[in-house]
Amino acid sequence: VAAVAGRTYPAVKIEINADRVAAFATAIGADPDDGVPPTFAAVYSLGVTAPQLFGDEDAAVDFARLLHAEQEFEWQRHPRMGETVSSRGRVASDISRRGMRFVTFETDTTDQKGAPLCRSRALFVIREEVRPGRTPAR
Amino acid sequence: MSERRVTFTREQIAAYAEASGDLNPIHLDDDFARSVGLPGVIAHGMLQMGILATVAAEAGGGPDSLRRLFVRFAGMVVPGDTVTFRAEGGGEGKLDLTALNQRGEAVLTKAAAEYVR
Repeated sequence: VAAVAGRTYPAVKIEINADRVAAFATAIGADPDDGVPPTFAAVYSLGVTAPQLFGDEDAAVDFARLLHAEQEFEWQRHPRMGETVSSRGRVASDISRRGMRFVTFETDTTDQKGAPLCRSRALFVIREEVRPGRTPAR
Repeated sequence: MSERRVTFTREQIAAYAEASGDLNPIHLDDDFARSVGLPGVIAHGMLQMGILATVAAEAGGGPDSLRRLFVRFAGMVVPGDTVTFRAEGGGEGKLDLTALNQRGEAVLTKAAAEYVR
């Protein structure tokens, strides 16, 4: 597996849809009248960019062996209902150690003027497959 | 201080899967979950984080005030588990966050938030 640190993916646009926000708020037990829940960033930031990483054949992230180990969000401001935002993902680091691969995936979300809204930082840990006939590195 | 106790259900996990778009079958299909070595369906870590963020927002002046949130997903949550999510002042503009299951085990660790007034 080739490390893909530094790789960036095309920006993805998403509209902050009121119905979707309301369903999300209800599912986490938040008041839908309180506006966009902070972790709706799971949708507009990480949610739209992580599939690009998982679908990247060069990155070869085995989804079935993947664990979401840590998550951080930093906000300059929270998006408003109906606003269209743009999210761009990149592999900040990609390190393999003792049969485990650690991928830090960062996503920067900006508004339509390009002003920063949110940065998502996800740490994914992937158990690497030990292929038959291959001695695992020690 | 703000606190919320949540007993997770399959319905809530399925509702979060639908609303978030994370339809990984480990959250929805017991047979599939068992086939990959889990006891059955498990709650999304991001669902736990979402509830914790709601509690942090209550303690820190509302959802628009949150500026940073960090969690480490440390333990599995399965339907029937009761998790107590708590946010306490950790200094100026900071909150210490915890999420403990009914056995007192932390399901989220190193959890912290920052907010502005």
